[in-house]
Amino acid sequence: MKLIRTLAIVLTLWLLGITAMHGGLNLHWFAKTTGDGTGEKTFGVGFLPVTCHLTCPVTHFINKEMEHHDMFQPMRFNGWPELKEMFIGRSKDMPAAFILAPMAIALREQGVKIKIVHLGHRDGSAVMVHKDSGIFQTTDLRGKTIAVPGRYANQRIIIYRELKKAGMTLDDVKLLEMPPPDMPAALLSHSVDAITSGEPFMGQAELDGYGRVLWQAKDVWPGFISCVLAVHEDAIRDHRDEIQRLVNGIASSGKWIDESMSHRMDAAQFVATNYYNQNPRLLSFVLSKPPDRVTYSRLKPLQPEFEEIERLAKEVGMLQGTAHFEDYADDTFAPDPAKVQAPHFEVKK
Amino acid sequence: MGNADMQNIITVRDCWMSFAGKEPGAEIHVLEQVNLDVVQGEFVCIVGPSGCGKSTLLNIIGGFLEETRGEIYVENAVVNGPDPGRIFVFQENGVFPWLTVEQNIGFGLLSRPETERAERVKHYIAMVGLNGFEKSYPRELSGGMRQRVEIARALAADARVLYMDEPFGALDFLTRLKMRSDLIRIWQAEKKTILFVTHDIEEAVQLADRVLVMTKRPATIQEEVKIDLPRPRDLDSSGYLAARDRIFEIMGMDAHGGGG
Amino acid sequence: MNRRVLHIVLPLVTGALLLTSWHVAVKLSGSDIFPTPQQVLAGLGELAQQGLLLKYIVASLFRVSWGFIAAVLVGVPLGLILGWFRPAYAALNPFIQILRPISPIAWIPVAILWFGVKDTAPVFLIFLASVFPITVSSMAAVQNMQQVYLRAAQNFGLGGLELFRRVIFPAALPQIITGIRIALGVAWLVVVAAEMIAVNSGLGYLIIDARNAGKRYDLVVAGMVMIGLIGLVLDVLVRRLEKFDEVRWGYGQR
Ligand SMILES: Nc1ncnc2c1ncn2[C@@H]1O[C@H](COP(=O)(O)OP(=O)(O)O)[C@@H](O)[C@H]1O
Ligand SMILES: [Mg+2]
Repeated sequence: MKLIRTLAIVLTLWLLGITAMHGGLNLHWFAKTTGDGTGEKTFGVGFLPVTCHLTCPVTHFINKEMEHHDMFQPMRFNGWPELKEMFIGRSKDMPAAFILAPMAIALREQGVKIKIVHLGHRDGSAVMVHKDSGIFQTTDLRGKTIAVPGRYANQRIIIYRELKKAGMTLDDVKLLEMPPPDMPAALLSHSVDAITSGEPFMGQAELDGYGRVLWQAKDVWPGFISCVLAVHEDAIRDHRDEIQRLVNGIASSGKWIDESMSHRMDAAQFVATNYYNQNPRLLSFVLSKPPDRVTYSRLKPLQPEFEEIERLAKEVGMLQGTAHFEDYADDTFAPDPAKVQAPHFEVKK
Repeated sequence: MGNADMQNIITVRDCWMSFAGKEPGAEIHVLEQVNLDVVQGEFVCIVGPSGCGKSTLLNIIGGFLEETRGEIYVENAVVNGPDPGRIFVFQENGVFPWLTVEQNIGFGLLSRPETERAERVKHYIAMVGLNGFEKSYPRELSGGMRQRVEIARALAADARVLYMDEPFGALDFLTRLKMRSDLIRIWQAEKKTILFVTHDIEEAVQLADRVLVMTKRPATIQEEVKIDLPRPRDLDSSGYLAARDRIFEIMGMDAHGGGG
Repeated sequence: MNRRVLHIVLPLVTGALLLTSWHVAVKLSGSDIFPTPQQVLAGLGELAQQGLLLKYIVASLFRVSWGFIAAVLVGVPLGLILGWFRPAYAALNPFIQILRPISPIAWIPVAILWFGVKDTAPVFLIFLASVFPITVSSMAAVQNMQQVYLRAAQNFGLGGLELFRRVIFPAALPQIITGIRIALGVAWLVVVAAEMIAVNSGLGYLIIDARNAGKRYDLVVAGMVMIGLIGLVLDVLVRRLEKFDEVRWGYGQR
């Protein structure tokens, strides 16, 4: 039949054409391979385009610039569920990921053999309210709706901790789960009274002029931990050296970020353009106003801090309390923060 | 019945047919004790009121339906499904709309060599008067032309017997008249055996050697009327009118509109 | 007015009205989050300049093409078989009806577990979204086929594969094509969901990525606009199939 023949020919040509174009434009099939480091199998590290995971792209970038090869393959996701599914479902492709500390502990409780080997950052979270709202202190949140990132977000814990200080409980507020990228718009449109997540989404509401900081994590819970680097036990067994190198890289690039404001501004620039696809202005804002809004030093996992998270998370009902620090953490990779050296690296201008 | 020296092509003996009704256990009795014979080269019409079971009978003879009881022989064998030597022409028009006129007419010839097929297709296109429409699709043809394609398709396939179930029922009056005379011309040229179902008494008298008149449901063949008139038939001749009125009478009506 | 002119002028007028009311609505609301048409156009220009627009369109078309063509190659034969063989229908139809209403979004975890985050995962999701409508419409096409064609074919002694190839398939084809057209709309519809998985290109990815990029709702809407426009082009292309002689009979007078 003419129709079927025509269709078969046209579709075959179309498939060939579109595949070649996709291969050329997006998969770089036809690009000349660069000599160094290619063919070397690197392992995937999952992350989201948020400041909590900043050390991931910074480590990758500095290593690539200084050593001209990929230390690991940074794998960018757009939301927690997909990141988590890839991490627990295909550990061969992606044995390491930046995830929320309570989520890592919860996964361990559920029998996923992973270990926290390092922290991703400290602080870098806030509760934002609309600038016109009458909310000025924790007690004003009574009866209000607060958007939180998800079930295992530390923001639940920090809110619980603050409410408790003010003599309230979680029953006094309404928590609403929402993907962080949608939060600024929700605040602007008064769909919710307050929003809380990691940066840069809180900074965005502030930068655009309609958000007001109710409190920063660093002020109410100094050294607040939200995202950690978790690794599969299989990988710890089979790829100790790579993981050690990754952890060293994260620790030293964290030190590098915190070393000077000009490093911070450089990081904002190259991460926003090469990894996050965001406006660098936003990252610069979050990394500088104030400078300690989010920090990247002192990233060794410490048992007492995790025990506090465990205790609070259990009170909130997030965790069962069946996994303990020695089950879900392996602090042998993390170097002593006092001895971490920042790399001698400056961005070429 | 029939000439003793002529070969019987279709023989139906004591045929009964009933369908399952809507309610469980209920049965619709359609045919009761039907007997008929058709001999080689004969043109036989079956007439009867709408819904009496004409199509059912033809479908049983054609092998598309199985009788409840009875014996059906066609070409000296028990009917066991449809047969390419005996082609059905449908009122709904069974011409394939995705094929051109010549592809349709050649449909029954796919096992023949290319040249023979082309020749036969050409021959029958000319016979049914569709020259110039070889590459047309059925949707571009009138209803009458489509029925011609279907008849040509049966003839081209060398069918010995044609079963026609109200093939001109959907056509307008003038086209119907034209189709009848063309069908007679073709039948005379090709010497096929034709069993033709219609509810139109005039049509039956114009076409047939013999008309079999069926009763209401449950139907049987009530009477047979021989139409011994020369062709082409004169529709004003006394013989024609007498035969027509005789059939009207059998069916319990008079020819001038009164009920019976 | 000439019909052709009508079909060009009227949509343009409606389009202009819609764009104007969009613009006015944004201005009146005083929102600086939701973009105006000009901002969206500027966003599109920016994407085009960076070469991203072409890349993303190609990526989405690549995934939809493979997923959808695979769905046609599986769905049409499967539908024909289910429509024709009663035992096959009895055995499989309940499960097709169970799987059919499940949104491709619900399959995302499965797609990641099976295929990781390469192109295969979104291709799989698009395949799933389109294979069921294609199967079901092909099945219905066979079941609703005019019996007279079947009987004519049987009369000429056709059976088995020949009957399928020469009669059942061509008789069902117009309705199959209609089903394919609807399924292509669905396939294109799920491209956003399918690209939620960590692929790093595509129009769906553009939308999700723009949401992560702070206040870039101009790019979100730009992605929506491009998806809509390409959807329109795809529909026009598939409609061309209906003009072929082999199937035109199936669409009545238009
Ligand atoms: N498949 C069937 N199932 C049940 N009843 C049928 C079936 N086919 C025909 N009938 C019934 O048999 C009777 C005769 O039908 P038919 O042979 O089509 O009549 P006609 O003489 O008009 O051609 C009608 O009452 C019809 O409803
Ligand atoms: Mg009938």
